[in-house]
Amino acid sequence: MTDFRFIGKRISRPDGPDKAAGKAHYIHDLKRPGMLFGKIKFSQHAFARIKHIDTSKAERIPGVKAVITAQNTPEIRIGFLRDNFALKKEKVRQYRDEVAAVAAIDPDIAEEAVEQIRVEYEIQPGIFSPDEALQKGAPLIHENDSRGRARTDNIVPIKFHHESGDLGAGRRSAKYMVEGEYSTPLVQQSCMGTAGCIAEFDMNRNLTLWAKTQIPFLAQRDFNRALSDMGLQDKNTRVIVPTLGGAFGTGLDTHTYEYITILLAFRTGHPVKILYSREEEFAYLSPRQSSQIRILQGCDSNGKLVFRKVEVLQDNGAYTSWGATYPSVMMLPATSLYRVPNVFFDARLVYTNNTYCQAMRGYGNPELTWALESNLDELAEEAGIDSYELRRLNCNLPGETTPMGLKISTCGLKESLESVVKKIEWKKKHKKGKNRGVGMASLIHVGGGARIYKSDASGIILKLDDFGNVYVYHGGVEMGQGLHAVLTTAVAEALGVRPEKVFINPTDTGTCPWDVGTHASRGTFMAGNATLLAADKLRTKIFELATDVYPREVKKSLEKYRKKNPGYQPPEIDFKKAARLENFDIKDGYLSIKDGPAEPWLNLELGRFLRAVHFRSQGQMLTAEAFYDPPNELPDFEKGYGNISATYVYGTQGVEVEVDTETGEVKILRLTAAHEVGKVLNPEGLKGQIYGALAQGIGYALYEELKTEKGRILNPNFKDYKIPTIQEMDFPIDLDFIEIADEFGPFGAKGIAEPGLVPTAPAIANAIYDAVGVRIRDLPITPEKVLAELKKLERR
Amino acid sequence: MKRFDYFLPQSLEEALELKKKIPNSRFIAGGTDLMVQIRGGELKPSALISLRSIPDLSSIEINGSIRIGAMTTVTDLIYNPDLEHQAKLLVDAARRVGSPQIRNVATVGGNLCNCSPCADLALSLLVLEAKARIQSLSGTQDVPLQKFFESPGKSCLSPDQILTDIFIEPVSSNTKSVFLKKGRVKMDLAVASVALLLEMEGEICRKARVAAGSVAPVPLRLQKVEVLLEGQALSPELADLAQRMASESVAPISDIRGTEEYRRQIVGVYVKRGLAQILGWGLV
Repeated sequence: MTDFRFIGKRISRPDGPDKAAGKAHYIHDLKRPGMLFGKIKFSQHAFARIKHIDTSKAERIPGVKAVITAQNTPEIRIGFLRDNFALKKEKVRQYRDEVAAVAAIDPDIAEEAVEQIRVEYEIQPGIFSPDEALQKGAPLIHENDSRGRARTDNIVPIKFHHESGDLGAGRRSAKYMVEGEYSTPLVQQSCMGTAGCIAEFDMNRNLTLWAKTQIPFLAQRDFNRALSDMGLQDKNTRVIVPTLGGAFGTGLDTHTYEYITILLAFRTGHPVKILYSREEEFAYLSPRQSSQIRILQGCDSNGKLVFRKVEVLQDNGAYTSWGATYPSVMMLPATSLYRVPNVFFDARLVYTNNTYCQAMRGYGNPELTWALESNLDELAEEAGIDSYELRRLNCNLPGETTPMGLKISTCGLKESLESVVKKIEWKKKHKKGKNRGVGMASLIHVGGGARIYKSDASGIILKLDDFGNVYVYHGGVEMGQGLHAVLTTAVAEALGVRPEKVFINPTDTGTCPWDVGTHASRGTFMAGNATLLAADKLRTKIFELATDVYPREVKKSLEKYRKKNPGYQPPEIDFKKAARLENFDIKDGYLSIKDGPAEPWLNLELGRFLRAVHFRSQGQMLTAEAFYDPPNELPDFEKGYGNISATYVYGTQGVEVEVDTETGEVKILRLTAAHEVGKVLNPEGLKGQIYGALAQGIGYALYEELKTEKGRILNPNFKDYKIPTIQEMDFPIDLDFIEIADEFGPFGAKGIAEPGLVPTAPAIANAIYDAVGVRIRDLPITPEKVLAELKKLERR
Repeated sequence: MKRFDYFLPQSLEEALELKKKIPNSRFIAGGTDLMVQIRGGELKPSALISLRSIPDLSSIEINGSIRIGAMTTVTDLIYNPDLEHQAKLLVDAARRVGSPQIRNVATVGGNLCNCSPCADLALSLLVLEAKARIQSLSGTQDVPLQKFFESPGKSCLSPDQILTDIFIEPVSSNTKSVFLKKGRVKMDLAVASVALLLEMEGEICRKARVAAGSVAPVPLRLQKVEVLLEGQALSPELADLAQRMASESVAPISDIRGTEEYRRQIVGVYVKRGLAQILGWGLV
């Protein structure tokens, strides 16, 4: 397939007009009849024993319908290690722990009631860094695991480890090596739409939850388990996803506030909504995990990488969510960015009394790539090799299997490096400018799903109506990234209808087939492949019926045509061709026989065809479903081996900066991003993904950091947590999409949702080094840090 | 958020009477600072008295001297063509306040009465030697702006007073000014900021006014620097001296937005760069 009707063309987003006009319904807009408003009481102590909770005053406030605590509700354990509770009973382990909640007739009353809840604590000294947590005799954050077995240390019981080749031999063969320690901060996802949900029980005690989630079906499983904990055995949750104002990973796990909303709804018998304010979102939702990464890597005298040792230490916070599994993705660049024969990777996760963390775009990859690509530049410097040459020399190639067992089908790393070198004028500018410099960094990421669960699949149902419209039921989540535009384009292309005839239904576990979740840059890849399978089935069904219906209907058309055009002599038509399915085609919503004469009456409008099939004896309506499970493997993370994705993407970003040596400010002069995409499906959507990711990557590089003091977030608002605005993106950006069609990708396409922010920070850091000789190893690169390093340099 | 009553008086007298009558009431102008404090639970007023409907509080009059009503929005400052001409420094500072949405509601009076050490308009009005007109039920008085700010969040206003107008005398034609602001990003409260105004006679600086933001408990005039510059022929060497003196004469704190050391550095650099920019030296 190379001659596409809609793929690669500019198609407007079906969700665009409503969003632009304020007509789309976010969780903030949704109301249910009789709905109450919930509010949570947070501990505001990082580590303490709960002595007593007095809710009596709150209960007496008019308009308060329920006040719940762990004392008067069933215990609901959450998180994949079951180490967290919806409401805390005996201890609080982080500043944001939920100790009570209220449902009231309006949000102000709920807030007032929460303020009236009195909690007595016995405060304990907390642990706020992994190093403290690892010390002998450190207090245990969790004394027992979820099965009640005594714990002896603060290490989170999950292992990520990889060894390949012979590290010792690799070290011995190295002529140059560089060791460095790099760190990354806590970062907030900063969704435009804050978190919230509505829970409602029907009289059969089944639950409907309107949730801001990226994993409706895994969430359904989690919530059903909670229902069971609440004594509602065999009851079901229907998860409906409203319009989302961004998710960036926040929707990858279920949240305490959702379980609390469910408890409040069950207690009161009313629908209950909990909606986080911006400050609550900052202070009480899980951010991107911080990390400390130590890298030692070396090359031989020719610049060939011979070994790499990577050790990761992560502050897990008090409980476990998906932040804890970042190392599953960190392994990819650690083992498979450039060709390195001898690799050691190990990650340790440690409980502390800091906030627990969750997924964020890139999922460990920006962290590890920050360290790896900074260190690679340092190695190039040590070896006296141009850092671009070092990268090119060790470039991955199509067809290789990496030390982690990743099967690289197509690979555009070389092309992306060459693109950046040319566009950023590397040879002219590298190591040349005074206070100006250029830097680059590359990446590898999953591009064909990511099997981190026993199924990595995605289902789709295509339903046709009497008018040739196609209704799409798909479990993937549109969260602003443009999935519905891609789905529309893919369905239109694969089925042969106009995009205006394609309607995407809201994501709803009650109507859509199962999907593991919209994460790991998998939306386009999964939706596209599932669409291709379902569209093929639907076309086959249509063609089967067409063998009978088509000749009959076009003959009617011919009669009408003749009446309108007296004297018309139709060409000789061989209707025997209609006996064979493969002779049919659908194009722009018209059914016809391939390579036939261009007579208008031979094109049978799909709606008319469908009505003919429907309104007859033993009539039929057409739907088709497909369930696509990609050809990838669930890796063994303790061994660090397995082909996690069906295909991978590489890319390179180059940046030119100017450093103000008196203020420490870093000004980006221009940026070029060359990303391998397989095939561009929707050019505007793709640009949007990369522009957005670059802004996030620049935020990660230069501005963003949640600052904490004894577990409390000090800057829980946009006044003091700075993300780039359009004013920071005031430089030319050159995007280059490298198209090498991948055999596994729908229409050749790969996933590209996350890569745009992965190499941005190290590219900037490398450019700063090129400009002023200062190497910053901890993010964000603030003017203060740059200035302090410049002063050190002066003193030397 | 605590509930509160809301009043919309139609005259200054009515506003002042309400204020007197209702304990724990507050005046509200644009609300861009006040509402944040109320939502954050730092302030729990029983009533808000809006100054929005009082006639003449939101007008700009230029008639020899310049009168700016306290309820004039920041956006109105920016789009007043005469002001751009006669008090460019104020307009330059206005352009750096918040976002367009904030500028559309935030007012001159609010920016001053909030008494934040980082207030952008305060700096430029300080170097323009503005006067604040203050009214109470017992009468009117004019206060030099330099005496207006007492401590963070605290002005010289007593609870029964309203800031009604700002007066600026027009500057002479050989006056040049500059407003420089360092934020963590462009749309930000100042980590440090400098407003600088020079009246030149050939090479000689006849008058210098310098103010710095976010480097002291209140928006600060750097009078030592002014004295250093006045009556002198300005040279890069003198600018270096001014830089050092500016760094040393401020008393910043370290907070979430920046460190003490960094603020000192920026104020110094900005004083030097301000001079260079005004005198057309190019980057020093």
